[in-house]
Amino acid sequence: MKDFLLNVLAKKDDAVLLGFVLAFPLLGAFVNGVFGRRLGKSAVRLMALTALGLSFAAAVALFVALDISVGQHVNKLTWTAWDWMTTNARPGEPNVEIPLKFSVDALSGVMMLVVTGVGFLIHVYASEYMIADKGYWRFFCYLNLFVFSMLVLILGDNLPVLFVGWEGVGLCSYLLIGFWYTKLPNAQAGKKAFIANRIGDFGLICAMFLLVYYTGKLDWSGIAANAQALVTPNASQQVHLWPIGGGQFQDTHLGPLTIPLHLLQPGTPWTITAATAVGIALFLGCTGKSAQIPLYVWLPDAMAGPTPVSALIHAATMVTAGIYLICRLSFVFVLSPAVMTIIAFTGAATALFAATIALVQNDIKKVLAYSTVSQLGFMFLGVGSGAFTAGFFHVFTHAFFKACLFLGAGSVIHAMHARIHDDDRSQDMRNMGGLKKYMPLTYGTFAASTLAIIGFPLTSGWFSKDEILAMALVNKPVHPYAEQLAKRSIEVWSPPGWVPWLLWGMGILAATMTAFYMCRCLFLTFWGDFRGWTVGRPSMVHAEGTHEHEAAHDDHSDHEDEEGGHHHEEDLSQPGLPPHESPRPMTIPLLVLGTAAIVAGLVFNPAAVKIFKHDFSYLPMEHWLDPVFEEAKKGVGAWGDEHKTHSLELVSLVGALLAFAIGSGTAYWMYILQQGKPARELAAKVPALYQAALDKWRVDEAYDKTIIGGVDALADTAASVDQGVVDLLLARVTSLTVAAFGTVLRTIQNGVVHVYAAAMVVGLAGLGWFFTAAHADFSVAEANGDYTITAAPGPGYGFKWYPEAGGKPQSDAFIGNDTLKIHLDEGKSQTVKLEVVNAFGRVGSKEMTLTRAKTEKPAQTIVGER
Amino acid sequence: MIPVEHYIALSAILFTIGGVGFLVRRNVLVTLMSIEIMLNAVNVALVAFNRVRSDSHTGQVFAFFLIAAEAAEVAVGLAIVLSLFRVRRTVRSDEADLLKN
Repeated sequence: MKDFLLNVLAKKDDAVLLGFVLAFPLLGAFVNGVFGRRLGKSAVRLMALTALGLSFAAAVALFVALDISVGQHVNKLTWTAWDWMTTNARPGEPNVEIPLKFSVDALSGVMMLVVTGVGFLIHVYASEYMIADKGYWRFFCYLNLFVFSMLVLILGDNLPVLFVGWEGVGLCSYLLIGFWYTKLPNAQAGKKAFIANRIGDFGLICAMFLLVYYTGKLDWSGIAANAQALVTPNASQQVHLWPIGGGQFQDTHLGPLTIPLHLLQPGTPWTITAATAVGIALFLGCTGKSAQIPLYVWLPDAMAGPTPVSALIHAATMVTAGIYLICRLSFVFVLSPAVMTIIAFTGAATALFAATIALVQNDIKKVLAYSTVSQLGFMFLGVGSGAFTAGFFHVFTHAFFKACLFLGAGSVIHAMHARIHDDDRSQDMRNMGGLKKYMPLTYGTFAASTLAIIGFPLTSGWFSKDEILAMALVNKPVHPYAEQLAKRSIEVWSPPGWVPWLLWGMGILAATMTAFYMCRCLFLTFWGDFRGWTVGRPSMVHAEGTHEHEAAHDDHSDHEDEEGGHHHEEDLSQPGLPPHESPRPMTIPLLVLGTAAIVAGLVFNPAAVKIFKHDFSYLPMEHWLDPVFEEAKKGVGAWGDEHKTHSLELVSLVGALLAFAIGSGTAYWMYILQQGKPARELAAKVPALYQAALDKWRVDEAYDKTIIGGVDALADTAASVDQGVVDLLLARVTSLTVAAFGTVLRTIQNGVVHVYAAAMVVGLAGLGWFFTAAHADFSVAEANGDYTITAAPGPGYGFKWYPEAGGKPQSDAFIGNDTLKIHLDEGKSQTVKLEVVNAFGRVGSKEMTLTRAKTEKPAQTIVGER
Repeated sequence: MIPVEHYIALSAILFTIGGVGFLVRRNVLVTLMSIEIMLNAVNVALVAFNRVRSDSHTGQVFAFFLIAAEAAEVAVGLAIVLSLFRVRRTVRSDEADLLKN
């Protein structure tokens, strides 16, 4: 069995199992997409689940094989489907082969298990959740296709193959966000996600170009081997790109006023290495896919898609592709401490920023969406601090607890939707409450995942988030080639000492907020009394006033459409049926994911445990990923010695526990003990701030006004140029000119054969007259004043030469002699005339004046003559 | 022996008759006949010039080719005239304007 696995299915260079892992979801997508409509829902369900189940089984087998191979010091299993293309890095360099090659190593192995495993659970869940939908087959076609694309992204062995998967998941994300495309906001959300991702993809493509230019390779091991070409530590010249600044802007003087334009740019130019350029370009791609500032805006809107899609694509797998890419190319990123710091700061800022928005949202999916953005920020904070293992570990744990949270939210919405037939209000937490009585399983799993995300000790989230925060404080990005560069007196940027404290502070603050808003979400949804009885009766809603945050602004969206009436709304004047627990296919995935959310942390060595027990040896995940990050470890140092590191870890641990305690404690006091009164009072006290946070700091509006408005204006300009110049001047004027000529010529082309014949006769006569004329012509050759003039020959030509035009001819008759010789002294000129007669007796003539230039005597002679 | 100038003069007269006939008559049959006259004028000229040069017979052979070409041309031309007559009930060339406009 083991031999069969290792020698047939998963050979080192020909691991066919990789093909199986990839093929099943593709087959599922094909069958569901092409035949799904005719197959019926049960067959579609069977196909989709089988495809994912088999893929997961193959992935498990592959992982086992990989584990055995790693024991035999083979870190990577590869499989080449076919040769894809060959390209050229730059002239004179060897060609770059780009095969369609897949590989699995420790990093992609874990990711592959997460995608197929969590993907399978979410497929099971979705097969029940979507059962009433007309587009059932379409949904599962997209979902299977998504899993396939995600696997291509993860398993691709070079950047172009990864890019295929990268675009594939983008496409599936677009299709699934806009799955209910008849609603305009959904279609727009899909479009927004697609365009925001395109901006990121631009960065990724640029990074690919730069990488192939500098390293000449696009596959992981090739880039790793040639990565030092990005900083050229040993070569004679440093690769400088884009000197920024350097005094192009001079101060402008307006009378007594001086406008200090030189402040716009540094006085001495900044130069950045190719590694920094590549890192920034790659990171732009990651911000698009993984929803970081400034491109995070698409992810909250993406919640317009069905909830299982939010769980699978926009929480567990696709959005972590950016972190995966950074981990995959960690050896490139560590070459630039500046880029590492940028990544860490972007991550921390995103974590903090998204958390502030999540604090006040009322839509349960919106809270989870901003929570996802925030958690992704944590991951970037981790990888940016050089803690690649910790960052990736957070991807791993986040996949479980966030998928579970989303599926739990889906289960809640499913229950609420049965009572409230309205998409928005069935997701509004103000209409929920007390659901733990009616949905015990959903409550249990949701609570478990909440504990994980807020960092309750010993849950998976505690391990991973603590590790990230600790590493942000401890790690210092160092340049692996700093010594060589210093020898060449090249200064490498290094972050100042306050950077880790700022990063850590932002992280702790974001973690506190996370604890608060997740507990708020849990309490509002599952604790207290059910508030959904009264929805649909505006009079009672207003009379009771039990809603959270009953500020004046937030009610109109709730009640506006009730005047129009939802004719299918049941009569809710009496307490109706209570919300119900979801059916088994939805609860089983919840149970599995909830369990994983609690226990998944045990596969990692947490910093917290190390502090108390240094020889703690149960460290599967950390050692498992060691070979992947071996190269990158050179770029990660520490701010202090071991002792200081140890104390910093302890500080971080205390900080993280405090963050958890303060955040969740405040939420408990606010929403359980005080029934939400402090929150309402606070919102009423600073209405402007509260409203701004509720409106997501109006970032979308700002983007609309600036970037989108600018692009629109550009498009308008282009359109008017198109209409004014291209359409009017070029097209219209040209067509009118042609038409005018046509009108004139049409009168000649009158269709009467005899007119054509007459025209031909006239033409022939003209030609005949031309060809019977005598053409006099001659050429002149000169040597020392002796001119030889030769006449051009012709049929039956006779020549008569006049050495002096107007004088007497050489002979009175036309003779056959076609040359004339004359002599001219210096400075003299003479006019020669030739007459020619041809066979028809017609005569032609030509005159030419010949002048011999005066030769300049040498200047000396002239001086002497004087 | 008749000098070659006489033949050339005859040829020129025939060619002019044919050309003027082609230009002024509207009857397609007459037009065709005019073309025949012009071609035969060329034939006369060819043979007459060939007679001056006793070392070559190219002109005479060429005249035979021309006769063959004329025959083919007349066959096609008459066929076209017949079709035209069937369609339009006329053999006047200025009424054969089916393609116009």
